[in-house]
Amino acid sequence: MRPGRSFRPAAGSSRLLEVDRAERRELWTEAVGDPPPVYGERWTEVSDRRFRLFEPTRSKLAAALVKGWTGDVPSPGERWLYLGAATGTTASHVADLVGPEGTVYAVERSLRPFGRLLALGERWPNLRPILADARDPLAYVALVPPVDGMYVDIAQADQLDIVHRNAELLLRGAGARLLIALKTASMGRHRSAAGHRDSSEAALANEVALYPSVPLEPFHRGHFMVGGRWGRESRIPVRETARPTMPRGRRPGRRAR
Amino acid sequence: MRPTLVVANGPALFVIGTDTPRPLGPFLLEADPREAAARFETLDRSDLPTRLLAFLESVPADVRLVAAPPRLARAVGECVGRPVAAPTLEELRRARGTVSAPDPTTERRFFLALGHLRLERALRAPEEVLITLAREEERVERSVGRESRAAESFVHVPDSPLDRHLAAWGLARGALADLSEALRRTLENEAKSQVPNLSAVVGPRVAARLVAAAGGIGALARMPAPRIQLLGSRRRPSPERGPRFGIIYRADRLADVPIGRRGAYARSLAALAAIAIRADAHTHRNISADLVARRDRRIESLRRRRR
Repeated sequence: MRPGRSFRPAAGSSRLLEVDRAERRELWTEAVGDPPPVYGERWTEVSDRRFRLFEPTRSKLAAALVKGWTGDVPSPGERWLYLGAATGTTASHVADLVGPEGTVYAVERSLRPFGRLLALGERWPNLRPILADARDPLAYVALVPPVDGMYVDIAQADQLDIVHRNAELLLRGAGARLLIALKTASMGRHRSAAGHRDSSEAALANEVALYPSVPLEPFHRGHFMVGGRWGRESRIPVRETARPTMPRGRRPGRRAR
Repeated sequence: MRPTLVVANGPALFVIGTDTPRPLGPFLLEADPREAAARFETLDRSDLPTRLLAFLESVPADVRLVAAPPRLARAVGECVGRPVAAPTLEELRRARGTVSAPDPTTERRFFLALGHLRLERALRAPEEVLITLAREEERVERSVGRESRAAESFVHVPDSPLDRHLAAWGLARGALADLSEALRRTLENEAKSQVPNLSAVVGPRVAARLVAAAGGIGALARMPAPRIQLLGSRRRPSPERGPRFGIIYRADRLADVPIGRRGAYARSLAALAAIAIRADAHTHRNISADLVARRDRRIESLRRRRR
């Protein structure tokens, strides 16, 4: 560990570290695979464990965490379904978070990104790439066992419909987690971004106990992270550590010294 | 009577809901992951494990048989010679909960084999070959251009220690140019056979690039003409001045149009291209002579009305 940086475990997962930098908090996930970097990200070693920088500009999940997401994140040993994995940038970090005991089933439809996802699957032991269309979960119901959570990043107008179809077939049951990176720009121009978030949350609320959503500005314009626990009566534990994550004006690191 | 449910879980099949409380199985499709992936992809009656078939034969006729996914239901139905229904969502959910998770090592090898198999099959489709060719040809064309520009501005100093490397560089450039030429010829042949009308209107290379940018012949055929006109353009539309060209700027005969009229020509050409690709995608009729005549008439009239 280099001096001047103090890594500490982040709230929500034991495989996630955070460190305060000058302007914002940095997140690192413990790597499941070996170097070289998956998409050019930085690696570091903290007390014999290898971590990869989880950048908010590259990943909507990281952006949500930096913006103070208080909902659940994938935790070690869980099975997650990842819809819209593309080349596997965020999928590799989700695989990091569930750790070697967990599994990530990554669904992607387009061929050329899938080629890279498959190459990542060769290197990341707990990532299972699936070439399929998320609109038709029956096509891969035989491949994915019941999952503890679902991370959805598909920029489609009917993304909530796709979420619903997958969730009722593939989630393990009440209490399973749902994280949706909502891209409002692909949902039509008849509503504002916040309007799309509100209507999506209203649609989800029938079946999901919602976490507080966060906007992903300035990292991803017009995106929101919404989600919750499957089952309307599921309990959302209130986490008190919803810290202000983008300290303004002062540098926490300097004050600590 | 309880239904007997056959479910697939990766390379393994299970039978649930018989008189035994625990699911029967796993019935492996095949031990070797690549073989298992191939069988999983086809999944017809010859792919089902014989042990499973023997068991299914013994199921009494009054027990309802259900299977998931639908392909498996069809295969099982063919084998036992009676209709096999799809399970209800609730039945399927309950059944999946009782099936044990597959062994991670086997599962991983199966997934990778299946991924490679599906990707290879998908990329072998003629349309995808055209898209891949168009992308590669463009990339190689760019690098040929870059290297030859570098060679032009390179000042050669005789008897310098660089000489040996320069010779090698010259060979590499020659090889790259040959590759580019070969790729271009293959691409043009592919485009002419797959999208003959569009190739006649805008030229085979631009036709292939349009298809690649749209993501497929069907996708391009669904696009309106203005979208085709701007496909691949980098400039952002603004209220004052939007983009006028995309890939279509490299179309055949665009250079014959006076510069001030090229935007108007691109608009008409895109309209013709939209008609052409729809013929290529749906009716498969050859209307290229008519379209080319209309295109040439338009060029003539634009040249007369020179600004």
